[in-house]
Amino acid sequence: MRGMARFIEPVRIIAVVLIALAIGFVITALVSKEPVQAYTALLTGPLPRISFENGFEIKNINRFGNWLEESTTLILLGLAVSIVFRARQFSLGAEGQMLLGALMTAIIALKLSLPFPAHMLLALATAMMIGFLWGLVPGLLKAYLSVDEIVSTLMLNVIALQLFDLLLFNWLRDPAAGFVGTAPFPTSAVLPLLIPGTRVSLMTVLMLIAVVVVWFLMARTPFGFELKMLGANRKFAEYGGINTKRVIALSMAASGILAGLAGAHLSMGLLKRLTINLSPGLGFEGIVVALLARNDPRWVLLAGLFYGYLRTGAQIMERSSDVTREVVLIIQAIIILLITAERLFPFVQEWVQALRGRREMAVEGG
Amino acid sequence: MTAFVEMKQITKVYPNGVVANKGVDFSVEQGEIHALVGENGAGKSTLMKILYGLEAPTHGEIWLRGQRVDIPNPQRAIELGIGMVHQNFMLVPSFTIAENIVLGSEPRKGRFIDRAQAIAVTEELSKTYGLQVDPTARIEATPVGMRQRVEILKTLYRGADLLILDEPTAVLTPQETDELFIAIRKLVNQGKTVIFITHKLIEVKEISDRVTVMRHGEVTGCVATRNVTEADIARMMVGRAVFLQIDKPPVRRGRVVAEVRNLGYVAETGRPVLRNISFDVHAGEILGVAGVEGNGQTELVEVMTGLRPATTGEICVDGTPVQRQSPRRIRQSGVAHIPEDRLTNGVALDATIAENLVVDRYNRPPFTQRGVLSPQRIRKHAETLMRQFDIRAAGPDAPMRSLSGGNMQKVIVAREFSAEPVLLIAAQPTRGVDIGATEFVHNQLVAKRNEGKAVLLVSADLAEVMSLADRIAVMYKGEIVAILDNGPELTEEEIGLYMLGVRRQETATRAIKAA
Repeated sequence: MRGMARFIEPVRIIAVVLIALAIGFVITALVSKEPVQAYTALLTGPLPRISFENGFEIKNINRFGNWLEESTTLILLGLAVSIVFRARQFSLGAEGQMLLGALMTAIIALKLSLPFPAHMLLALATAMMIGFLWGLVPGLLKAYLSVDEIVSTLMLNVIALQLFDLLLFNWLRDPAAGFVGTAPFPTSAVLPLLIPGTRVSLMTVLMLIAVVVVWFLMARTPFGFELKMLGANRKFAEYGGINTKRVIALSMAASGILAGLAGAHLSMGLLKRLTINLSPGLGFEGIVVALLARNDPRWVLLAGLFYGYLRTGAQIMERSSDVTREVVLIIQAIIILLITAERLFPFVQEWVQALRGRREMAVEGG
Repeated sequence: MTAFVEMKQITKVYPNGVVANKGVDFSVEQGEIHALVGENGAGKSTLMKILYGLEAPTHGEIWLRGQRVDIPNPQRAIELGIGMVHQNFMLVPSFTIAENIVLGSEPRKGRFIDRAQAIAVTEELSKTYGLQVDPTARIEATPVGMRQRVEILKTLYRGADLLILDEPTAVLTPQETDELFIAIRKLVNQGKTVIFITHKLIEVKEISDRVTVMRHGEVTGCVATRNVTEADIARMMVGRAVFLQIDKPPVRRGRVVAEVRNLGYVAETGRPVLRNISFDVHAGEILGVAGVEGNGQTELVEVMTGLRPATTGEICVDGTPVQRQSPRRIRQSGVAHIPEDRLTNGVALDATIAENLVVDRYNRPPFTQRGVLSPQRIRKHAETLMRQFDIRAAGPDAPMRSLSGGNMQKVIVAREFSAEPVLLIAAQPTRGVDIGATEFVHNQLVAKRNEGKAVLLVSADLAEVMSLADRIAVMYKGEIVAILDNGPELTEEEIGLYMLGVRRQETATRAIKAA
């Protein structure tokens, strides 16, 4: 019976994904002279090709790498958002926490000289720490002063961005570079490479560990139980003796740790330096991943890989066809909209309910 | 002469199975002030909502001026000349009084609202019916009494001949109440008809021509007010309930478990809700708290369980002071709590039954050991309790939402009773649950008492309190006005007089401690 319920939800999501992809194709067909080719680029672009022309060879490994790199950041952000969403807090602070995480790694990387791996580990630790603190602030404001977390986190994002620009321009910037950015990080503060020919680094392993840790936190610790009860009914949680203020503050802070880590991935893994306009809006993509995954860390892994695939495929489609970036974004948005809009598909809902009904009857009968 | 309004055999059953009205006959004559009284939950609000088109009756007919009518919505009610003034005012705070009165059917000048006309209309209505208002004042800047007059004028502006006033004096000062009564008489002199909902008997005597009394969804009487006394009405309200048969051995009182002294609570609005409350609950007894709802019982329970902070006074449980402590600390000192509002406090509908059953103990062994939570043990625990308390559901992982009211209450009872409390606080423990579950809860409460636990039972159902409690404390306007020994010589009428504020025990003679 429990297996059945687990089975229905994935089927629903897969059905919706297929419908969404079909709609995406229709739009592509409307704007492109060669829609099949363009759509193939979207759907298969991120996959590496095995070629036997000159003996065994793997081609396009960099595209495959792009997918994993993109997904690593998205999954970290998705985990961050899923923690606060689980407690039904609508923190939108991942963007700012991510920026500050990246900023801290640059400070540690460029202003300290330490041997590897101490240098790298210290940079990672400070990124997580700043994320924690930048999450704790709106958490405490919400818990003890009832400050709306949507407003406070958005404001803190603005502050983080200005702080980032200020320090980058006035302190960290490499005047010799032809653009606004720092000098490259010393190798002692760069994440070790995992797959040659790509930028897939140690962070992908850390991301997998983070998925396990967050899952454990949610499913196997008292704090996870408190998060869930807070999200289910705050008054009930209080009545049961849960210190909901503490849980609210800590959930936002814990979320910040992961967003800080995502920032470290951008600077220490992908760019190996800090640049202006690091990655505007990326912090909000974590919301999409968390929504797709219904705040379940195990599903965040899959949703992040899916969304990363879509984003990478979209970039490849843009490069290799006549479909413009805007259309690609539209298709992407439609797919996400359809998946997250539960009520858009009443027939799927009814079907699920019919199955549930049959299941309950079976239980009563037996 | 045919009645102005006649409601015949009205029955209302809510989707959750609660029967709010059972075959109610209710009639109002043209030009009278008709009081509708009964305790909270007696069904008077539901009856009036049906008349105003807010609820559809399950059975029954409504006749108006001798004609059968259907009132599917308030718009229709207004067309038929029925207006209702709710307890919670529905005004736009940033609008002026005149704007509020004409809102929805504004006098127009071309495409714009004719403000001058709105003010003129308001002034004229105000003069005609003797309801003093300042048409240009903003609602947010006016006192409650004036807001109420605005509500009344609003219904009159829409052409109401019949006004339903839902507990209009609940929010008023005595002076405002006097002014309201004068206005009501004026309205009637102008040919209007008024239905006045209340549970204050003094007001019934003062203002009404006739009174209809409701209890448990039924009409227990309709009489001319001048022919009866307050005590008569009290008797009709409280009624001689069929006593529930509960086998209860004689009380064997032990030590004092809960000691409440001079407890006071002032609401955020500055209104004192609890005043100088003192009582003891002994091991092995059930102390019942009776009273018309809204006299501080809810707040008393919430203060005692840590959901609200006491303003003054002390609460000790087994000698440990617990006032202004967190709910967790209070639970740790041995207090369990069946909350009055099940859906708000008592359960999380989106969580599973198993999770609901451990909300107070998930962080202790065997559920959490060395910081690791065991979902398996939580499920096992739920299976045991579901068997023991006969909770009918698909399984421990079923969402709470899928349970009936009775089974939900059993989940709460199972959790709170299995917490092994020394003091059990049960607030309205059988509200809205079926007879089977009610009986179950009653037997469990008595079993706890017989085991030597202290039980504080707060209930608006006097029959319940009288059949279960060993002593009865009566609350009125935030105070305990009497603590009575429950026995065969204690009558509902006597308790009713305390409940309705007609009588009060001298503080000095009151048995805070049991004899």
